[in-house]
Amino acid sequence: MDKSTLQRLPPLKRTWWLKHRFFKLYMVREATVLPLVFFILCLLAGMISLLQGPDSWQGWVAFMGAPIVLLLNLLALIASLFHAATFFVLFPRVMPLRIAGRSLPDQAIVAGQWAGVLVVALLFLWLFGRA
Amino acid sequence: MQQRDFDIVIVGGGGAGLRAAIGAAEQAREQNTPQRIALLSKVYPMRSHTVAAEGGAAAVTSAEDTHQAHFDDTVSGGDWLVEQGVVDYFVHHAYQELVQMERWGCPWSRKEDGQVQVRRFGGMKTARTWFAADKTGFHMLHTLFQTSLKYPEIERFDEYFVLDLAVHEGAVIGVIALQVATGELTLLRAKAVVMATGGAGRLFRFNTNAGIVTGDGMAMAYRHGVALRDMEFVQYHPTGLPGSGILITEACRGEGGILLNKDGYRYLQDYGLGPETPLGKPENKYMELGPRDKLSQAFWQEQQAGRTGKFGDSDVVYLDLRHLGETYILERLPFICELAKSYINVDPVKEPIPIRPAVHYTMGGIETDPQCETSIAGLYAAGECASVGLHGANRLGSNSLTELLVFGRLAGEQASQRAAQTEWADSRLLEAQADLQQAALARLCDGEGSSESWVDLKHAMVQAMESGCGIYRTEESMQQALNTIRQLRARFNNIRVNDTSKVFNTELLECIELGYGLDIAEASCLGALERRESRGAHQRLDEGLQVRDDVNYLKHSQVFYRGDAHAELRWQDVDTRFSAPAERVYGDAAKGGKA
Amino acid sequence: MSTDHLQTNHFQTKHISVKRYLPDSSAEPYWQQYELPVDDSTSLLDALNHIKEQLDSTLSYRWSCRMAICGSCGVMVNGIPKLGCKTFLRDYEGEIRIEPLSHFPVQRDLVVDMEIFLEHLAAVKPYLIDDNPVKPYDPKAPETYQQSPEQLARYKQFANCINCGLCYSACPQFGLNPEFLGPAALTLAHRYNLDSRDHGTKQRMTELNRHEGVWSCTFVGFCSKVCPKHVDPAAAVNQSKVESAKHTLIALFKG
Repeated sequence: MDKSTLQRLPPLKRTWWLKHRFFKLYMVREATVLPLVFFILCLLAGMISLLQGPDSWQGWVAFMGAPIVLLLNLLALIASLFHAATFFVLFPRVMPLRIAGRSLPDQAIVAGQWAGVLVVALLFLWLFGRA
Repeated sequence: MQQRDFDIVIVGGGGAGLRAAIGAAEQAREQNTPQRIALLSKVYPMRSHTVAAEGGAAAVTSAEDTHQAHFDDTVSGGDWLVEQGVVDYFVHHAYQELVQMERWGCPWSRKEDGQVQVRRFGGMKTARTWFAADKTGFHMLHTLFQTSLKYPEIERFDEYFVLDLAVHEGAVIGVIALQVATGELTLLRAKAVVMATGGAGRLFRFNTNAGIVTGDGMAMAYRHGVALRDMEFVQYHPTGLPGSGILITEACRGEGGILLNKDGYRYLQDYGLGPETPLGKPENKYMELGPRDKLSQAFWQEQQAGRTGKFGDSDVVYLDLRHLGETYILERLPFICELAKSYINVDPVKEPIPIRPAVHYTMGGIETDPQCETSIAGLYAAGECASVGLHGANRLGSNSLTELLVFGRLAGEQASQRAAQTEWADSRLLEAQADLQQAALARLCDGEGSSESWVDLKHAMVQAMESGCGIYRTEESMQQALNTIRQLRARFNNIRVNDTSKVFNTELLECIELGYGLDIAEASCLGALERRESRGAHQRLDEGLQVRDDVNYLKHSQVFYRGDAHAELRWQDVDTRFSAPAERVYGDAAKGGKA
Repeated sequence: MSTDHLQTNHFQTKHISVKRYLPDSSAEPYWQQYELPVDDSTSLLDALNHIKEQLDSTLSYRWSCRMAICGSCGVMVNGIPKLGCKTFLRDYEGEIRIEPLSHFPVQRDLVVDMEIFLEHLAAVKPYLIDDNPVKPYDPKAPETYQQSPEQLARYKQFANCINCGLCYSACPQFGLNPEFLGPAALTLAHRYNLDSRDHGTKQRMTELNRHEGVWSCTFVGFCSKVCPKHVDPAAAVNQSKVESAKHTLIALFKG
């Protein structure tokens, strides 16, 4: 076919995601990784300082107590909960579970995942609460 | 001007066209004659109107059912104006075609044991209608389209609008098409051509049909001298949505839906379809499961008696599904729920659906022999555009989806066999006809401006057809419609299009479609006027003509094109080799009778 | 028996702006505004038909069934892909801007070139593959496969795609790279892979497992939001990722 008269489209601009609320929300979901990276780095630094001895450990504890670091880690917690919420909703669509040939309702799978979060959280509280 | 050679050219990418293409490809492989097949469609194949068929496809399926029963239902449903040899072939090949569709992946609805499920349908003695929820046509069309992708010998020409057939010395030699995207002409030389261009429901103002259902193929064959047969028989589907005419499937009634007038009364019992069947227990050939012509006629009678309700400007009756329960309705009729909610803001689970009859199907069409060949050698026709003789004066719901498979395949195979024994014609013959088309196009687009508006002409045509050739007709109304159509044909010669662009010029296409439509509208009116009896979908109110007249009119009408002069009508005998005409009765009246 | 309470006909005048592109008279697209009468039942397609017949016969767009099943009339309405026949002007206040579907080359006005979409569809072998059936089809003794309602239910939703292309206009990944097979084609592949009668998964995997196959999808999920038939292509594509990963792992261990 003669395609000379077709209006060719310019490639998408880098700002394509600013055009719609749905895309912005998607970008927020993707961006939750940034505060999480910070949290992981903190955790890694903590383990290294633990190996290096008490002074180093005390320094790390002080660092973690700084308001800006607390704030960033709080942000990481919120980000991870937000990511979990979006992920849990998507999960049944990606891995529809079936029991005895019948598919499980989406809400049940989402609720099951939150129940899992609760169980893990309680387990940690119990473990560290005893210490 | 692009020129290409193909063994077989198929015009139309709906169910019949796709089935013909696959049938031809299989046949060519079987006979070891490699063949190239072109499939032309003015839209992408999956946009074809087959997509909108909802209810299902009929074939003798259960052990208790018989070919004889399906034959009898079809013959009496068509008020004996059918070719009985054709019906016999049809009922014997229906099942294998539906199984073939299943083998190609069609998602037919199933019973618990994994077998295909069947449902009841109007005018059928027993449940024999295969279905895929209430989107049967959609699933069949997509299955056929997707399956056609397996065949490299099928080359698609999507969005090519066919302008004319090339015919030389009584044989078809190719087609001339317009590539919609560029406005360029394309010549396809062929040894055989299959028309599968669908019906002509858009001749009428109020219809269930897609915008593309404009009778193009019928007009093309007709202009080359092939008879249009039984064009006076136009089916009104009893249940269309008011306003738009969007189809609400007969399967609603097959599943147990009931029809009520404004007083909540099941009025069908007053029209020879009773007695009333219990709620939720539909019975074949009773009440709501009567044939479409009878149900549409009953609506008209109720309307005259002032017992219809109002929805907007439309007179309506009500289709009530509520007693079926939400779960069942959503499983069996999900599309109906979606349509009713979107287009008239009614939830069928909670409220009855207001409905009224709308033009749905063209029983007549391009006359073919039982092997789908027309009077032009090498030109075949199948599906709604064809009159192979299956539907007679009234089509039974769910026979047409099966028809496009059975006769689509047959037409494709026949075309392939012919192509194997035929040579291409001299391409200069084709070029000469293409030059004529080019000149006609140039005239339409000469930019001179128009004294006539194609919009006005189109509206006048659909209005004339609706008031002249509706559910009930009179001598006077039909004569008036015929006169109007003839005037419009004359006026059409003054039409020019405003849009002179070559690229995707839809105004030009609409004008050409209007020209096609006016020609076949004349055939339809002429057949109606000359048939001085009442049979099936053709019901007259004239004194003495309200009954069937087998002595004079157990005959097909054939209308022949005569250029700018008036079309000519002839009568043709009907094949009644197996079953002599009897009274056509439903409800309790049919008990003990043959029908 | 009455449904009078359902009817409200508020006639009013609305304005819609259409992005026009006429390649043989101007090289650049431009906006054109039309004023037309509408009531509560007027769909965008009705409005376009009104323009075509009464105001401007040169406006080009595709349409056919006007009941949301043929998939012809997709356009952008205020930046969101929609079917014209299933979009009602009653739902819009203020300006209504109509453009051709995003991410496709424009042929003219609201008509886009769908060829790449059809190529992608064809690429995934979207037909039933059963090369060595237990019982081959025999027209003389035709026999269907067995399939339980549960087996049918597994793929049914994904068989409801009408090929309208809205999901491609919603997909930024297709916008960034038109070679991406895209939501509808991948959904169709998944539909056949899930069909109990089909044995073609392996053949389709070579297409699905490419970078331009399932792995270009980042689960933005807008495709499923705009799908007029609730097919949920995002789910199909991401289920395919799981299958694709399994397939790769198994192939790895098999050597």
